[in-house]
Amino acid sequence: MQEQFNEVFTKYHEVITWGVYGTAIALMLIGLYAILIKKNLVKIIIGLTIMDAGIHLLFVGIGYIQNGTAPIFSPGYENAADRMVDPVPQALVLTAIIIGFAITAVALSLVIRLYKHHHTAKIDQIKSLKW
Amino acid sequence: MKKAFVIILLAVLGFFLTKTFMDIPFGENRIGEVSSNETAAGYYLNNTPAKTKVANVVTAIVVNYRGLDTLGEVTVLFLASTGLASILYRRKREEEDAERLSLPSSRIMRTGVRVLFPAIVLLGIYVFIHGHLTPGGGFQGGTIVATGFLLMLISYKGFNTDHNRMVWIESLAGLSFVGIGIWGLISGNTFLENIPETGILNSLISGGLIPIIYIVVGFKVAVELTGILDILLNIKPKK
Amino acid sequence: MVITPIHYIFVPLVAAFAIPLLSKINKELPRIIPGFVLFYNIIISIVLMQQVNEFGYVSEVIAGWKAPWGINLIITPFSGFLVSLISVLGFLIWMYGYRFKQVIDRGELRTYNILQMMMITGAIGIIITGDIFNLFVFLEIVAITAVSLTAFYRERDGAEAGFKYLLIGGFASSLILLAILILYTQVGTLNMAEIADRMHTVPSGIKATILILFIVGFGIEAELFPLNGWVPDAYSQAPGPTSTAFAGIVAKAGVYGLIRIIFTLFDIDGAYDFLITAGLITMIVAEAAALKQTNLKRMLAYSSIGQMGLALVAFGIGTKEAVFAAMFLLFNHAVIKSLLFMTGSILMYNSKDKTINSIKGIYKKLPIISLLFALGAFAIVGLPPFSGFWSKLYILTAAADKNMIFLIVTILAVSIVEIVYYFRVIGKLYFAEDENVIEIHKPTPQAFVAMAVLGVTIIVVGFNPDLVTGYFHNAADILLDKASYIKYVLNVESVIQ
Repeated sequence: MQEQFNEVFTKYHEVITWGVYGTAIALMLIGLYAILIKKNLVKIIIGLTIMDAGIHLLFVGIGYIQNGTAPIFSPGYENAADRMVDPVPQALVLTAIIIGFAITAVALSLVIRLYKHHHTAKIDQIKSLKW
Repeated sequence: MKKAFVIILLAVLGFFLTKTFMDIPFGENRIGEVSSNETAAGYYLNNTPAKTKVANVVTAIVVNYRGLDTLGEVTVLFLASTGLASILYRRKREEEDAERLSLPSSRIMRTGVRVLFPAIVLLGIYVFIHGHLTPGGGFQGGTIVATGFLLMLISYKGFNTDHNRMVWIESLAGLSFVGIGIWGLISGNTFLENIPETGILNSLISGGLIPIIYIVVGFKVAVELTGILDILLNIKPKK
Repeated sequence: MVITPIHYIFVPLVAAFAIPLLSKINKELPRIIPGFVLFYNIIISIVLMQQVNEFGYVSEVIAGWKAPWGINLIITPFSGFLVSLISVLGFLIWMYGYRFKQVIDRGELRTYNILQMMMITGAIGIIITGDIFNLFVFLEIVAITAVSLTAFYRERDGAEAGFKYLLIGGFASSLILLAILILYTQVGTLNMAEIADRMHTVPSGIKATILILFIVGFGIEAELFPLNGWVPDAYSQAPGPTSTAFAGIVAKAGVYGLIRIIFTLFDIDGAYDFLITAGLITMIVAEAAALKQTNLKRMLAYSSIGQMGLALVAFGIGTKEAVFAAMFLLFNHAVIKSLLFMTGSILMYNSKDKTINSIKGIYKKLPIISLLFALGAFAIVGLPPFSGFWSKLYILTAAADKNMIFLIVTILAVSIVEIVYYFRVIGKLYFAEDENVIEIHKPTPQAFVAMAVLGVTIIVVGFNPDLVTGYFHNAADILLDKASYIKYVLNVESVIQ
């Protein structure tokens, strides 16, 4: 199973690289687009979340090492340290996801308050939000 | 007009980013020779089973090597929850008018959730207790538990979480985490050091403080996320 | 238990987690506890500064794994001075805000005090950490608390200002995360000293990309143009003590992050020129905008941005004299701007519609406050014999040393603009007819003491700048000395010549 995957990986290395990096970068750009263009406040927040998702994906993807396995020393893998993927990006992404969640939560609460006050969630009708 | 400008900007950014990442090959071994301790990752992979007796290296990094980051992150969640309470603050008399904002749920949902809820909570607790042996841990497990609560909150309008108890669990869990750190300081070592005897690799009781910290974190995250969801769902209905 | 840098972090954390429980016992506790915590911060500062004076650095290992495998906290003379300043300011701001608004519900009191205390803690964390991802985490702590505090009052437009801040701040943190990501792939470590050590192995194209991402990310917190759109709204909508904390504490942490990254991690020549250019543009745009403001707090906010721009220019000049002058400026700005915001908030509290016009002639009813405001205004535009004069003078001499005539002319021109808009306020305060008909709220005695301490500092340092200058000279030396930072943290000789 592992050998078949490695074969595919080496043959299609270019495609896989483009695929992983391209998806992550595309997500970031889509998120950025939503932040800059969309008028509904909730959609802007979703855009920020998507951009964060793109960055997290990129981070985890960076940590991959060819032929690597998960960095867990389960029974049977005790001496597999040479073949493990990079554990550090995974740990960092864990923290980053939670922080992104916290930002989203606070942003949504602000939107709720704005909506109660102005009875609209469109950014151009809430006057002080000018760039 | 503005759309065109933004699209051009995004195209430029996209090109720029792609060019940068083409220089960073995918799947390249950046750790170097693991036993040479050249990079941080190499050091962690090399020494984790021996020094901390924990099987899951990611858990060891999150809780032990970079424990201060995790403490900061738990703080961020706590502050987000406090900030939410501050922004959506309701005075006492408004509290009684608050009603859960949800559509009536179907019979399938209500029956299904009643079966699923205990299973989900159990799964979550399992995940964060075994964080040091299998993929998972405090944050993941806590989130799973909170998902279970979310399902109950959506399906049953009358289901209410006990705010008082949640505040207690939240504060006590937070204090325990910092307390564990202080214990390290008091006993003459550094903050958050892993002091107790580490057990045997791959058994449930291993890794000294690491599973304990993760269990504490699991409870805290579960309670906090549920609290946040609860505040966001209980909005006063517009008159 | 020995006092170490981690005390700055865990003591407020214990208080923050305990306050929700303790507030059930006694309603007044959330107000009192931060006072003890912030006072303890001052004690920590005194102890640690003594150690810094003796040994040069104080470094602490966390969780038993020494750098670069674990996270470490490090205090250099520069960061130590900033943190001590923040501790003292934090305590003074607490005193000032003790009973700032009389009518506050129990729940709001609890959240307000937790958030304010943790914002200060986050700023301190940014400054003392030696690990770049830890820096990111503390930055997020500051961002979340600052946004929640901006939106605190329900009667104002705080929610809009807060949303704008959060959006820009969230975007900034994503950029910083991206920068850390790319940096990690190149150097394989997250410890700042080790990154500095390995920086020369990174190809320059990638290095430039990382630097740009970092500058944009930190520039938002350090209020660079054009990333400071959030500042006037946030500063004017937040409660009085919070805006004081923004100007005196949070902005300093942002500037410190930027400087630490540029000076220690990167150290390329282009970065210094960039600092000068960016600082100049920030200063000019901000001061020009300040001229047009009718809302006092917005005016003070723009003035704050301008001063931060000036500090960045001074850092950008790069010589020892210039860096020393920049540190002196940061010290003065923290003290003076805090005083201005404190007095300004009280003046605004007593005005009908928060504009400068509505505080005409109010000096008769609030004589001491008006005097202190005037003192702050004189000091910040750089009039002798107050402290602000010396820092401006030293920056100008440092610029002259490098023959930067354009810089000198610009700074002087901007100073004239400052004089215009500050004196306009003083004029309205003292020399206009009093049309005010609303009831005057006199500040509390604690607030008076806090403001008096700041005022006295301005005067004392103004007459005796040598009290602090010797210290800044030493700190400037150490900041420019990258190799000793690396050596101290890693206990190895670095590869940098």
